[in-house]
Amino acid sequence: MESIEKLPNEDLRPDEEIVAAVLGGDIESFEELILRYQPRIFGMARKYFRNESDVEDLVQTIFTKTYKKLGSFKKTAPFEHWFMRLSVNTCYDALRRRTKHREQAVSDLMFEDESWQNRLDNIPDSEDQESLDKANELVHSVMEQISNKARIVLTMQELEGRSIKEISELTGWSISLVKVQAFRARKEMRAAVERFLKKEDNL
Amino acid sequence: MSISKKDKKFLKIAKAIPLNEKSPLSFSKRIMTEVREIHTQEITIPEERFLKLARNIPVTEQTPYTFEKRIMAIVQDLRVENPFAIWSRVLWRAAAPCLGIMVLTALLSLNQSKSITDSQALLSQDTFNENYEINPPDFETVMLASFDDLEYTW
Repeated sequence: MESIEKLPNEDLRPDEEIVAAVLGGDIESFEELILRYQPRIFGMARKYFRNESDVEDLVQTIFTKTYKKLGSFKKTAPFEHWFMRLSVNTCYDALRRRTKHREQAVSDLMFEDESWQNRLDNIPDSEDQESLDKANELVHSVMEQISNKARIVLTMQELEGRSIKEISELTGWSISLVKVQAFRARKEMRAAVERFLKKEDNL
Repeated sequence: MSISKKDKKFLKIAKAIPLNEKSPLSFSKRIMTEVREIHTQEITIPEERFLKLARNIPVTEQTPYTFEKRIMAIVQDLRVENPFAIWSRVLWRAAAPCLGIMVLTALLSLNQSKSITDSQALLSQDTFNENYEINPPDFETVMLASFDDLEYTW
């Protein structure tokens, strides 16, 4: 599991100590947890949602849910693991809620200014915001065609480089389920990319 | 399982042959050409092209300005306390006034009981004196009163 980057500050309180303080009534200590984890949570949320307001909503939900459920945190495992698992599950719930309300046809996701083939080969330059936006748009268009479970597994495995065991720990799904989803994700991704390219050829 | 003499001899000869680690000239180049071919084939596969693109998008961990303050405001509203904690706090708050009331009541009751016993003692003393003066008690009459009643019944 990805470990949190510790600051070289010796005064940095351990997560568990902060949690105990919050549970003891020192509510202000919760801000320390937010400051510590929000960059990582924003990074994760942006992989699943493109719209910035959706990202903020998700991060907000994750932190409020964390506060509400803080009492159920058992000190048998590190807080980081418990928190990341809660974050991934909240993200999955948000994806599920979103797919219920939204259905887009492949033709709606075609680009007007540039072909899919071109965009697929145009590796973005980290300095060029426009190329980054275009690449992001394409990646999200494909990812939205993949089922939610498969999408989470694909993002963690292929984009974050996590192992099957790590994904299983983060999602709470069994190893065999993660393996099945990983296989399905590849298949769905292939089908989605090919569908876009075929659609473009027919236009 | 025992090894025959013949086999032993064969193994000895086999071990004696030195390893030939020489490789054909520019063999690595030949392999690399194949590797490059495989790589280009993979890159032309749409899903691999897609993954390459997706992996090259840097993760943005930027957070909106004072986002934590917004969360803290929500958390303050959400503040849900343990009912037992609320109950014990109320109990502790009530302890001091209760103790005060208890002390006050004890003092009052002590004071009151003292005044009652004093007045009762005074009263009983007065009654005795009065009775004794007016009608001196006839011990014998009082003791035999019940027997007098018995006579009437029969």
